[in-house]
Amino acid sequence: MTDHSARTDRSSPRSAPRTPGDDPPARRWPRRAVLAGLAGTGTAAAAAATVRLRPTGDVAGAPPARRAASPLDGGGFADRDESFARSAGATRISAVSAEPALEHPTPSAAAAATAVTAPTLLDTTDPVLHLLRRTTYGPTPELVAEVHAVGIDAWLEAQLDPMSLPDPADDLVAAALPLAWADPATVRRSIEPRSWEAMSQCSVATMARQMWSTRQLYEVVVELWADHLHVPTPGGVSWDTAPDYQATVIRAHALGRFADMLVASARHPAMLRWLNAAESRKEAVNENYGRELLELHTVGVASGYTEEDVRDSARILTGRTVAGEDGPGEPGSFRYDPAMHWVGPVQVLGFRHDNATAEGGLEVGDAYLRYLAGHEATARTIARKLAVRFVSDDPPASLVDRLAAAYLDNDTAIVPVLRTLFRSSEFWAAVGQKVRRPRENIAAAVRALGIRPERDVSPTLRRLSDATYRTGHQAMRWPAPDGYPDVHAAWRSAGTTVELWNVHRALVGGWDDGLTQPDPLRLVEGRPAGTVGELVDGLCRRLCFQTFRPEHREALVEVLGGDPSAPAPSSPNGDLLEVVALVLDSPYFALR
Amino acid sequence: MTTAPAPPPDRRSRRERRCDHPDHGVERDGLDPRGRSRRRLLVGAGAAGLALGTGLGGVRVSFAAQPSGGTLVVVFLRGGMDGLSALVPAGDPHLAAARPDIAVPQSAALPLDRTWGLHPALSSLHELWRQGRFTAVPAVSTPDISRSHFQAQDYLERGGSATGASSGWLNRALEAAGPGTPLQALTVGKSTARSLVGARATTSLRALDALTLRIGDDARRERAVRALEALHAGVDHPLAADAAAALESLGAARLAAALAPEPGADYPDDDPGPQLRDVARLVKADVGLRVACVDVGGWDTHVGQGGVDGGTMADRLGALDRALGAFVADLGPAGDAVTVVVMTEFGRRVAQNANRGTDHGHGAAVLLVGGGLAGGRVHGAWHGLAPDVLDDGDVPGWNDYRDLLAELVTTRLGVPAGALGDVFPGHRPQPLGVTA
Repeated sequence: MTDHSARTDRSSPRSAPRTPGDDPPARRWPRRAVLAGLAGTGTAAAAAATVRLRPTGDVAGAPPARRAASPLDGGGFADRDESFARSAGATRISAVSAEPALEHPTPSAAAAATAVTAPTLLDTTDPVLHLLRRTTYGPTPELVAEVHAVGIDAWLEAQLDPMSLPDPADDLVAAALPLAWADPATVRRSIEPRSWEAMSQCSVATMARQMWSTRQLYEVVVELWADHLHVPTPGGVSWDTAPDYQATVIRAHALGRFADMLVASARHPAMLRWLNAAESRKEAVNENYGRELLELHTVGVASGYTEEDVRDSARILTGRTVAGEDGPGEPGSFRYDPAMHWVGPVQVLGFRHDNATAEGGLEVGDAYLRYLAGHEATARTIARKLAVRFVSDDPPASLVDRLAAAYLDNDTAIVPVLRTLFRSSEFWAAVGQKVRRPRENIAAAVRALGIRPERDVSPTLRRLSDATYRTGHQAMRWPAPDGYPDVHAAWRSAGTTVELWNVHRALVGGWDDGLTQPDPLRLVEGRPAGTVGELVDGLCRRLCFQTFRPEHREALVEVLGGDPSAPAPSSPNGDLLEVVALVLDSPYFALR
Repeated sequence: MTTAPAPPPDRRSRRERRCDHPDHGVERDGLDPRGRSRRRLLVGAGAAGLALGTGLGGVRVSFAAQPSGGTLVVVFLRGGMDGLSALVPAGDPHLAAARPDIAVPQSAALPLDRTWGLHPALSSLHELWRQGRFTAVPAVSTPDISRSHFQAQDYLERGGSATGASSGWLNRALEAAGPGTPLQALTVGKSTARSLVGARATTSLRALDALTLRIGDDARRERAVRALEALHAGVDHPLAADAAAALESLGAARLAAALAPEPGADYPDDDPGPQLRDVARLVKADVGLRVACVDVGGWDTHVGQGGVDGGTMADRLGALDRALGAFVADLGPAGDAVTVVVMTEFGRRVAQNANRGTDHGHGAAVLLVGGGLAGGRVHGAWHGLAPDVLDDGDVPGWNDYRDLLAELVTTRLGVPAGALGDVFPGHRPQPLGVTA
């Protein structure tokens, strides 16, 4: 037994009662310094060195005095995805623009002015393909033609106004999955208590919209927010309220203001139950939501908040609860209960409030949420998340800075941030720098093959959703509060790779009799496919929008007999189906 | 999705299958004289497998033979496991006072020594304690660890705070331990554990039984395997290594498919039962596995964690206990070379909260199971639960995770003492003496 008792050099309690007006740094005990004393080399010098080892450049404007007990002391990352990406040595793209500026008047001007210099397998000549790989769940020949016809700028503007776009496929899905976005009362009327049926419908319908909706960019952004303000669906405790959460919080505000979405999430029973706020009350404050609100939803660990900030964050949110079966209020609906609210002065980062009355607690909370939404550190959190989604796993700081500025300049409105992103050289330079996550790979295959449910829509979609589950990426099912990762290093898996290969074969082979079966020969219709070589090239162009390198083309030709000049098969035999699947297995298709 | 017929399982005995191997007399970690693992030759029923060793540019595969050292299994309990409910300082009066509803009482704890007892759900571990195959360390942490799940996990999985290292500690340990096979390190889960991310290529799989390339026709499957390899040849992207690992794993799954658990190894269906069953199969299949990571979620017991009579904590601990007991029984004598470390990002507050749960705390309990342990006592420093000893209401981090993990990678993976500075930068490990 090693005796570490000599290291217990601690002399002061940290939980002295707080008095309004205290100087914050003075009453916040430096927890980090205490713990450094337990480390074995515990000296003040070691603690100081710890601070210096922090990487620079991650923290935006955090006041030094509040750094005492930041989780980031000693070195860390802004969030999980940055940690994974930097560990794996993700490519850091550098945007090269023909003009001095990296920001351009329009997206098409940015595309024209930007040279793609980072090495990639992908053909970089057509920026429309890059645009569609990033802003949709996968290009289709029709979509490529449409963007070429109307132009990049007009197409993007229409996508940023999604409700102006008719969406016929969605009617089919809505009819088949009626509880997908139902309000809590409807769900409670329709299914057994605690049944996962409504949550499952919501997840399946979300996947279906990703595959077939005309509002593709909207769906991409919806998914980003669903991961950001994440409530597992299906999962957790939100059997009756999760569909409504998706509809009235995520989808309602996805292209609106983040501040409004945040306030809505903090008044929604699904979020309040999921992060234990519903049972948090003044005598027993539960810190879970107060902490995740800071760490995941808004300012992030890099902002330098302290454990005391976390406690006040949780105190501010007390009283936000969910109506029980016996009322008051509609069971399962949001309710503010003043009797549960912690009263007294609060301070989190730069937010201070007397919080003097129980009745006023809800308004204090909303003011706090709007403060957080407008915080510079939140701007960086959101900017980084958008850049990771649309640009690269470790996006350039130049872009993150401009996105954060656009967010703050526009009172947390999302669309101006997206416009800034699409006008940037960093976006257009990043061809081939993302990998499709498993469900995105499956959706892109469905879209590329032109597959649709032909009958038994609900069971067919559920089987497709089950396939995404086997790859660990069923829509909205991530079990933890931080949402699915969006960097390749977090997704690398032999099991998932094999599962994707199998899903490709199932889709191509029409194993599921509820889905249309693609005919590989019709896929290349309109192109002369007289020889095996021409057929292989045609399939690659049709599914990946480019031909493959010679050695990779040869691998496909080999499956069809090895002679590229031999006549192409005239009927869709097993080898031909196998080649179609292999094109989808290829690294060309895997890139986003 | 409907399922195409799976390839037929290899029904020959393990000994017979070894005869596929050109050098079947050599049993050195499943490697042939060039260091290639046996399963490599079995992918796609032989002929196709021979193609697999070639052409995968950018894949870090080392063919050098390695000394036998055994396997380290890291079970990570996500959410902050309440150590005071698992490894219980049963006689400490402060425990009962702080937890009137949920403390494990001394009368119910399975006794280890005068200080410690186990939650009654941990009966298999109690039996392993008697055999010298279970021990534990209380109050484990590392400097600067926070009460944020992400931050605490991230620090631990990168090898403690203040290191400046971005890769995972297990990845660096593998680099320090020398060359290995493509399946030397595996996460049994949906994606790679953070601790295994880094320069050395590692991979993950969810379940061995699900790992089949569903192409019914044998000849076509072999052509597909060759084509998949060729399609990634010369590709300077991690996707190439992913494909290589997937093809390797297919071979390992074929080897492991025929291996049923030993009699008496009764794995629970709950996590980590299925995962540890797969780890045991891979150990027995002798595919060169040195590090396996398994995640178990559900330990963030803010609400209603329960006491000895049932509840979340008892259920989770019970499944963990049965899985670990089955794992040891399944491996039998082979388990002498396998050590399991069960860790978590932090312990929980000493005092219960008003929801009969516990909030995020600090010092955690680490459980150690398997071969090579110094059994018979609980290791590390411990100073009780008196309020003036606690760190802001938490068990302090009396013992440093890095000291414990460094000892394990030294004995289990053969990491030279001089290389520990690469694994845990900025820290000079002092062994706790948990290994024999």
